[in-house]
Amino acid sequence: MPLKLLLQLSTRNILRHKRRNGLLLAAIIVAVGAVTVSNSLIRGMQYDMADAAVSNLTGHVKILAEGYRDDPNIDKNFVLAENWQPDVAAEELVGWAARVRVPAVIMSERGTRGIQFVGIDPDQEDISFIGQAAYDGERLTDGSDGRVVIGRALAEQLETTVGRRLVIITQGADGLNREAGFRIAGLYDTDGTSLEKIFVFTGVNTLQKMVGADVFTELSIRLVREPFLFQFKTSMIEFFTGLEVLDWRELEPQAAAMFVFADAAIFIWFFIMMGALIFGLVNTLITSVMERVRELGMLRAVGMRPKSVIVQVVLESSILMFIGVACGLIAGWLFILWLGEGIDLSRFAEGMDAFGMRTTMRPIPLAGDMLLVAGLSLLFGVLASLYPAWRVVKIKPLEALRR
Amino acid sequence: MQFYGVRMRCAVLMMLCCLPPMAAGADETAAIPVPDAYDIIAGAIDLNRGLTSYSEMSMFVHRPEWERSSSLVAWTRGREDALIRFTAPAKDAGSATLKQGDKMWTYTPKLNRTIRLPFSLMSQSWAGSDFSYNDLSRTDNLLTFYSLRVANVEQIDGHTVYTIEAVPHDDAPVVWGKEEWVVRDDHVLISQTFFDQEFEPLKRMETLEIKELGGRMMPTLMRMWKLDEPDHYTEIEYKVAVFDLPLEDRMFTTFYLQSGGRS
Repeated sequence: MPLKLLLQLSTRNILRHKRRNGLLLAAIIVAVGAVTVSNSLIRGMQYDMADAAVSNLTGHVKILAEGYRDDPNIDKNFVLAENWQPDVAAEELVGWAARVRVPAVIMSERGTRGIQFVGIDPDQEDISFIGQAAYDGERLTDGSDGRVVIGRALAEQLETTVGRRLVIITQGADGLNREAGFRIAGLYDTDGTSLEKIFVFTGVNTLQKMVGADVFTELSIRLVREPFLFQFKTSMIEFFTGLEVLDWRELEPQAAAMFVFADAAIFIWFFIMMGALIFGLVNTLITSVMERVRELGMLRAVGMRPKSVIVQVVLESSILMFIGVACGLIAGWLFILWLGEGIDLSRFAEGMDAFGMRTTMRPIPLAGDMLLVAGLSLLFGVLASLYPAWRVVKIKPLEALRR
Repeated sequence: MQFYGVRMRCAVLMMLCCLPPMAAGADETAAIPVPDAYDIIAGAIDLNRGLTSYSEMSMFVHRPEWERSSSLVAWTRGREDALIRFTAPAKDAGSATLKQGDKMWTYTPKLNRTIRLPFSLMSQSWAGSDFSYNDLSRTDNLLTFYSLRVANVEQIDGHTVYTIEAVPHDDAPVVWGKEEWVVRDDHVLISQTFFDQEFEPLKRMETLEIKELGGRMMPTLMRMWKLDEPDHYTEIEYKVAVFDLPLEDRMFTTFYLQSGGRS
């Protein structure tokens, strides 16, 4: 039997029950649309988390002295050649930053807090959150800036503000305590408050002078493409013998685990949605087949092959699925456009912060994810029609006609 | 830190050393109409140098909900070395703090452990009082990190009383905006006030009683409190003071801190 004729039969069968099939179509559209939107949000979250992890002074690759992670102090340091540049093509590199980072105590008239005191060259820091943050007051001007910038949340805890003096105590390279007064140049503002409470920044040369050693404790390198990471890391391991070369997945294992989990979450969502939908689809198809027992029996009696009957049912299901998926993707896409820059969750900033997420949920629709949803949905459509089709094949023409 | 220096100086002077008064300096300074602010402060500070002291005192910590008094004995040598030991109440007896320069250790008999204080703990309250470890430990750098000037001179009860305003240098490791000392011409510290960087007074130590003890006029009752919490204060009262007595070197060692001289 020609496929064209079968297609015609299937289409007419669908159109015969507009309300029933319309409802089914609506269910498919909603399911596919919802999966599309949730996938894009999960992707957005995933990319944000990775970005936040990399921006958290980590970079894609970070070089540390052996033992710094267990006992972070100025003794665990390394020297960097003055004209050092990462051995990598310029188009693969976003930037790199060498820093001094030591634990310290910060004091104002009204409060004392433990912090991470980080000496930076502000020109290098467009690779990390401190280069991208919003500021009250001024930024650090260069590596020998003798002022500090602190987070807004820390300023609130210490009840201080721009222009005031803070005292910072840390351990020098000789093991003795160093203390010095610093003026606050500005307050930085990040999503959430955990970073703001931990990191205090000053010029790298200022901090080197304070601890009395012309060295660095960390070097972060940010790449353009994540896939290039492995190759790059290998070359860095060869270059920095005796130092620890770590990528962001090792430094931020929680973020890395969440990143992997997000891939799985996309499938979990899809299977939950489709699982629910499939039963509706099977139910509708069985109903429509069972009410046509006489007519299918007649077709069989006049010589239609069982194979053609199966194809007809599968086609019916596939047409429904195809239209549903197409409309669902469009609906999901429109919804994503409507969301635009994302959903503002700043009311829950504390909680989001704990997961390393930003306060805006930004949808990132990926073509690959959409194709995956479309492909799997059509496959599910075919699978769902197999049982009804099998029921049809079992119809005996003689019995059907006698009903 | 300088301000801590000052505060500590004050605390060390008054709490530990009990030396500031030094009647000897009184006449010389009184002879000059308005002595230099540095001289007034340095005079009070330098009088402690190289001297030893033994004192018995009681500390009274007051809070709205509770109050507590303890007894302490203290030995000092110069400005660098000090040993303070609690003698009462029974639950605190034997707890001791040793200072060598800017290093400090504490000993708790219940744990039988001596702990070198990490610098992050130095700003914490000492023995639950309104004094911090920093108050006890800072060696003085008031003269280095502050600009001093005599803000006021007045005659009270036959004494010339100087009010000295100390403003930290811009890069000084000092959290205070300024500090104000009121010192009598015989070097008795009358009060010491700490201001924040908006020049609002924040906390104050005040001498409530001046008596002759150990052969010299000295503040015998002092109170330290935060001005916005007048219900929270700590008072130190000197009961016994002996000056310039011979002290053995071993008194200011961690071994002695732990053994309490029982060895």
